[in-house]
Amino acid sequence: MEEKFSFPSKLRISAFALVAIGVIAFIWGFISNPDKSWANLLLNNFYFVSIAVGASFFLSLQYIAQAGWSSGFKRVSEAVVAYLPIGGILFLVLIFGLGHIYHWAHAGAADHDELLAHKSAFLNVPFFSIRMLLYFTLWIFMARYLRKLSLKEDVEGGLTWFEKSEFYSKVNIFILAVTFTFASIDWLMSIHPHWYSTIFSFKTFGSAFYHGSTAVILIILLLHKAGYFSFLNKSHLHDFSRYIFMLSIIYGYLWFMQFTIIWYGNIPEETVYYALRWDPQWKTLFFVDIILNFAIPFLVLMPRATSRNKTVVLIVAVIVLIGLWVELYIQIFPAISEVNSFGLMEVGAFAGFLGLFILMVATTLSKASLIPKNHPYLDECLNHHF
Amino acid sequence: MEKQAYIVGVYDDEEPLIEAARKFKDEGIKIQEVYTPYPIHEIFEIQNVKSRLSIAAYIYGWIGGLSILAFMQYAAVLSWPLNYGGKPENSFPSFILVTLVFTILFVTIMSLTTFIGRAQIFPGKTIDIIDPRSTDDKFIFVFPKEGTDRQKVESLLKSTGAVEVYDR
Repeated sequence: MEEKFSFPSKLRISAFALVAIGVIAFIWGFISNPDKSWANLLLNNFYFVSIAVGASFFLSLQYIAQAGWSSGFKRVSEAVVAYLPIGGILFLVLIFGLGHIYHWAHAGAADHDELLAHKSAFLNVPFFSIRMLLYFTLWIFMARYLRKLSLKEDVEGGLTWFEKSEFYSKVNIFILAVTFTFASIDWLMSIHPHWYSTIFSFKTFGSAFYHGSTAVILIILLLHKAGYFSFLNKSHLHDFSRYIFMLSIIYGYLWFMQFTIIWYGNIPEETVYYALRWDPQWKTLFFVDIILNFAIPFLVLMPRATSRNKTVVLIVAVIVLIGLWVELYIQIFPAISEVNSFGLMEVGAFAGFLGLFILMVATTLSKASLIPKNHPYLDECLNHHF
Repeated sequence: MEKQAYIVGVYDDEEPLIEAARKFKDEGIKIQEVYTPYPIHEIFEIQNVKSRLSIAAYIYGWIGGLSILAFMQYAAVLSWPLNYGGKPENSFPSFILVTLVFTILFVTIMSLTTFIGRAQIFPGKTIDIIDPRSTDDKFIFVFPKEGTDRQKVESLLKSTGAVEVYDR
């Protein structure tokens, strides 16, 4: 089956326009309100990197489970993972603005703060930067290697490449689990350097997996709407919505687990995180997070009829992806700005990153056949039925 | 009770079965029962039968969840307020865990009971299995002998790939 994605020029132009909007927003932001701009940079960086990492996890999981039903769509996950190099570069930019976001990065912050002095062996700018470089090197290396194996399979065929992919997928999820745990502690949890939650990185990882898979599913559905993946049937759709449904439960579970343990323990060092977000101006968004990420997908995708409806799944996927933004906003912004000042800056910054994401994903998609040619389970995907 | 007489058509596979079910529907012949080793959703769609058990389970979920919440509210807040470690009496977050677990238990037990009641099966009942092979690897159609055009059914069964047709 030969199918090639061609990058429509309209989409390319609008992606470039989005990037331009983002650049303007950031220039304007860095002049008018640098703190907020750095926070926006962190938010959008984390948003798309966690989606890419989640997609990488999704891709590896399909190999490890030897899943046949999803084999025809693996190029989409590969394309989403291809955003990682751009994400890495933009994350490195963040090193210049650490002081605007992270309290511990201020020169002399540890002098009068015993706790920060204790943590400074881990939380210091050079080590932070080295860790960041290490994460991205490992992620990009693994992603490229898996992509290379997948492309070789197209040309040469045979089981060798699949078996190799499966083995390196196992390596990949191990690397992702360890590094993303530390990455989430570094990038998100250390915004509150005095606060800690043992489940935080697990929750962030679950969220990345959730939203990464949802992004992959959304792109597949959009491509299907544009006329690709003509073999996509109700059974595929049902499997996709089961994925969103299952992960929404996991997300709600982890969200509540973190909340309830801190609520029960009632230790001031821990409750400060929620106390801050319980403030009237953040409280609405705090609950919007759980509604968008858990309640809506859980309730809407529960019946069989809705989970087999393309439009419904598409809308739910978009809602869930908005949910990730709200989740990160409620994690990052209360710590950085006193007031909830959502505005054009946030929209513009997101637009810029979205443009880059579209450019990266669509370019990667157009480079190889949209449907892997010699995947051993491809037939199972083309005739998927349950 | 007098045993009812049936015509039984046996199929080897899922695909011819689904095709046959469509044909029978087009011909306007009603299939009384279909026995398969595993559930086949197309049969439900073709026969236009819908299980209402999931709707019942959904309602049980609401009943179970709300009633356990109300109970805990009554027990821990209204009837006998206790101060646990300075927590507010209405400790809603701590109720949620119990609600979750109880709702699952309630739905499981109630759906099972409903199913047993509707299907009229209970431990120790001797069940008249039409064809024991339908629990193994065969797919069967069952028609009542009365009021069925014997020849037409048999020829249709044979033409759609039934491997065996017999009376019972």
